[in-house]
Amino acid sequence: MTEKITLCDLSKCIGCRACQVACKQWNQLPAGQTHNSGSYQNPPDLQPNTWAVIKYQEISDGNGGVKWLFRKDSCMHCTDAACVKVCPSGALYYTKYGTVGVNNEKCIGCKECVAVCPFGVPKYDAKTDKVFKCDMCLSRIENDMEPACVKACPTGGLQFGDKEEMLKAAYERVEVLGGDASVYGDKFVGGTHMIYILPEKASVYAGLPEHPRVPLSVIAWKDWLKPLSLLAAGGVIGASFLHYITHGPKTPDEDGDQVNTKGGE
Amino acid sequence: MIKVTDSFERIVHWGLALSCIALMISGLGMMYHSFNFLAIPVGGLKYLKYVHNFIGLIFIVSVLFAILMWWKEAGILKFPEDVEWIKVAGGYLWHVDNVPEVGKYNPGQKAFFIAVALCGLMMSVSGLIMWFPLSLPVVWVRTMYFLHALGFFIIFPFFFVHLYLGTICSPGSASAIFSGWVTRAWAKKQHPKWLKEMEESGQLEVYGK
Repeated sequence: MTEKITLCDLSKCIGCRACQVACKQWNQLPAGQTHNSGSYQNPPDLQPNTWAVIKYQEISDGNGGVKWLFRKDSCMHCTDAACVKVCPSGALYYTKYGTVGVNNEKCIGCKECVAVCPFGVPKYDAKTDKVFKCDMCLSRIENDMEPACVKACPTGGLQFGDKEEMLKAAYERVEVLGGDASVYGDKFVGGTHMIYILPEKASVYAGLPEHPRVPLSVIAWKDWLKPLSLLAAGGVIGASFLHYITHGPKTPDEDGDQVNTKGGE
Repeated sequence: MIKVTDSFERIVHWGLALSCIALMISGLGMMYHSFNFLAIPVGGLKYLKYVHNFIGLIFIVSVLFAILMWWKEAGILKFPEDVEWIKVAGGYLWHVDNVPEVGKYNPGQKAFFIAVALCGLMMSVSGLIMWFPLSLPVVWVRTMYFLHALGFFIIFPFFFVHLYLGTICSPGSASAIFSGWVTRAWAKKQHPKWLKEMEESGQLEVYGK
């Protein structure tokens, strides 16, 4: 199966939040009461029941004015996903499209994925004791439909298709945009399946890591300590057995009053 | 028979030992997908998580008592006598004509105590943070997962060697932690210096001969 990519062209984003609403509608995620945080952005971040959110940001346009930056924030669907690496139950898994799926039946609410995701995507819901995030509308793409957010986007800012095709389109678009524009997502964590076309430098976008990667602590934990622990455990059990059959036990002398001269046998 | 442990020491020992074994088994079930089947008896991984977390509380209390109770006797290496013992590995690894006499705890036992105390505290702190991670910076939480895995890597070998040395490798030892009484011959072999000191000071509790 060919890998699929959702291409998010931020130069075309008008901050209408159609994707955010379509996501809620398709995935049947009810809205909740939120508070004004001094921004049009609402809710302030991804939530257990908000899997896509438009981040609103105001930056200087260099001429004393202000300009808007919009970014659709949702799961990046890494090829080398820290969340899948740590998930103890297999609730987070790679789909045949290269995306990261969620099987909530299996989620045990350990919250490990919440801490390790370099993008801060998975969100924990205390009520159900489970973690939720975007699954790129797996139910739709399995039926040859595009994700709900892509379907709803009125400007063509969101596109969905085969990996090669989308990457080619992304680089062509960046060429057209020129300036600081860049493709974001194909160069790290094995390549993401949500790819941004950023009209500004990546560092300008709030909350977007410039060099995301699987944290070193996660690699040390899952790739090094897991096999090492089994080796150490097996080694020490084997060594103890070997010790018993070669060196033998240390038994008290028959007569307790005799001074032991043999020692250590 | 000679008394070597009091009942409180034995209760703490078994609280620590049984909780530690239960934690290792339940932890293994969550750490390795191939050990996920260990969750079947408790009804799934979610319940294994609860079992692990709540037994962890027993472990924390036990390890704190163990440290308070034993650190003076088992937590401090003494120079130079302990060094002499370490040089010959207590006679456990190769043939030694005269193993230096040891007191209540030999340096190997002290090393075990220190490993359990330090790793036990590390497991307690990292475990509690892993249980309630959401209000802390993610970098801390990630480090806690690493430390928790590191703790198992260190504790299991120490645990298994302790189990081996306390049972089949040293017949007569296990009763010290079941009934609290050992034979005089055992005490003479294992902790001759302690036996002498206790006899000289008249503190030795003897039953029978």
